[in-house]
Amino acid sequence: MADLKIKIGKMLWKNPVTVASGTFGLEYAELFDISQLGAIVTKTITLLPKPGNEPPRLAETEAGLLNSIGLQNPGLENFIKNDLSEYQKFDTNIIVSIAGSSISEFGEVIQELDRQPEIDGYEINISCPNVENEGIAFGTDKGIVHNLISHLRKITNRTIIVKLTPNITFIEEIAISAEKAGADALSLINTVYGMAIDIETRKPKIKNGIAGYSGIGIKPIALQNVYKVAKVVKIPIIGMGGIRNTNDALEFIIAGASAIAVGTQNFVNPLICLEIIQGLEKYLDEQKIQYNDLIGSVR
Amino acid sequence: MLYKLLPIVEKEIINNKYFILTFSNYDMAGQCYPGQFFRLKNPQQNFPILPRPFSIHNVYENKVSFLIKKVGTATIQFSAMKVGQKIALLGPLGNGFTLHQNKKILIVSGGIGYAPFPFLVGKLNQMKNEIFFFHGGKTAEDIFSNDVIDFTEDGSIGEEGLVTDGIEQFLQKNQVDVVYACGPQMMLKKVTEICKQFNIDLQVSLETIMACGIGVCCGCTIRIIENGKMVYKKVCKDGTVFDGYKVVWNE
Repeated sequence: MADLKIKIGKMLWKNPVTVASGTFGLEYAELFDISQLGAIVTKTITLLPKPGNEPPRLAETEAGLLNSIGLQNPGLENFIKNDLSEYQKFDTNIIVSIAGSSISEFGEVIQELDRQPEIDGYEINISCPNVENEGIAFGTDKGIVHNLISHLRKITNRTIIVKLTPNITFIEEIAISAEKAGADALSLINTVYGMAIDIETRKPKIKNGIAGYSGIGIKPIALQNVYKVAKVVKIPIIGMGGIRNTNDALEFIIAGASAIAVGTQNFVNPLICLEIIQGLEKYLDEQKIQYNDLIGSVR
Repeated sequence: MLYKLLPIVEKEIINNKYFILTFSNYDMAGQCYPGQFFRLKNPQQNFPILPRPFSIHNVYENKVSFLIKKVGTATIQFSAMKVGQKIALLGPLGNGFTLHQNKKILIVSGGIGYAPFPFLVGKLNQMKNEIFFFHGGKTAEDIFSNDVIDFTEDGSIGEEGLVTDGIEQFLQKNQVDVVYACGPQMMLKKVTEICKQFNIDLQVSLETIMACGIGVCCGCTIRIIENGKMVYKKVCKDGTVFDGYKVVWNE
């Protein structure tokens, strides 16, 4: 049987398959043993509770999904009180996704979470397209990214993963900046900007107008971003964006991702992560190649 | 909640617009509660991407059935499927209706809003309730059964007019304890206004676009007034049934 173990920062993953933040929750534990995943990434948490954006928040398009959730979450205190102990029951790496409206707010959240056991890493979400002050504005400026990650690096020894946006001209600059500041890994990509319009009402199908676009339609965009970034950084990349099956996952790994995350497809087939884990094992056995040798092996 | 790939065991074509698909699974049928729903997807089709939510229409002999209206790509794909072909089912999901005992109950449905009620009526009958069932549709094609009081907008069957006109007249002469309603949002809004006049408890089953269907993504939220404050609730997990008076209806 192929060995799928992989190191992401200070974490050892039993396999390279995880879930994209915002597309997974403990509800899935009713359907399968989620300890089988390499890691679980929580929905993004902010210091204070966020009600989220006005509905409608979703629209399905020909080749993907538009969403404008707006980081709805119960806030740090409620998350620790109600959710964290549930996550801690699972025998896998727990990564808490975090957003904030200032460097000090990010710091405050991590300081508090660092006191909690069984959290293995943080995904720093500086790339949400659906919130004004706690999202993409952070992730499009290499200076801010450097200051933010340097600050967080001083606070925590746990693994720091920085989630990057593709909605930028030179993603490599942001990636290098995060790496230099002490990030342990990068995850990319977050959603791209998208829109859909109802031609009867002539209104956008999403209340906010512009939304985040995910699913199969963004896979080529995600893949080339992973490919570009893998060439300029040494830290591992968690690739995501439109992964629907093992073949899609393999493309990301060959492009340079050390691990992959499934997002929208969880909504279509809740067992997809398990299928991909099995599919990767089968591929490695058939191709007689070690997993580490496959990463970035694009010719 | 279970996720299974199951063959269609029965397919009943009602008319040009509506059909019923039935699946057989002991575990799934055993978990079903009136007002809950399943998400169905044809695994052979990549588009549409997301599974679609359907109310549990009825449950009997370990079978679960879904009344489906041909409205878009997914439902047209389902209508073309044959007995023996497999569909991916996730469910049962959501909370469903709060059941009552020994009450006078009014059920109001519009169009495909009829879907969850045969299962509910079966349960309510077992609990010795007196049930009045009003159903409305655009034309005779939108009417499903003879054991309800029917309204059609074109008068092609039953009484001519809107079902909401019918229930208003009915409530002027009859007292009921609880109203259960499912149908288009404009109808539910009107039902809420009418129930308010007569001060009757109201449970409405809502439909929205969903991504996860299980409470993870927060995509299907609606606005609810709770303790005087407007909050977002997830239709898939907090609902699909809500207190009609608390729903902030869209204009």
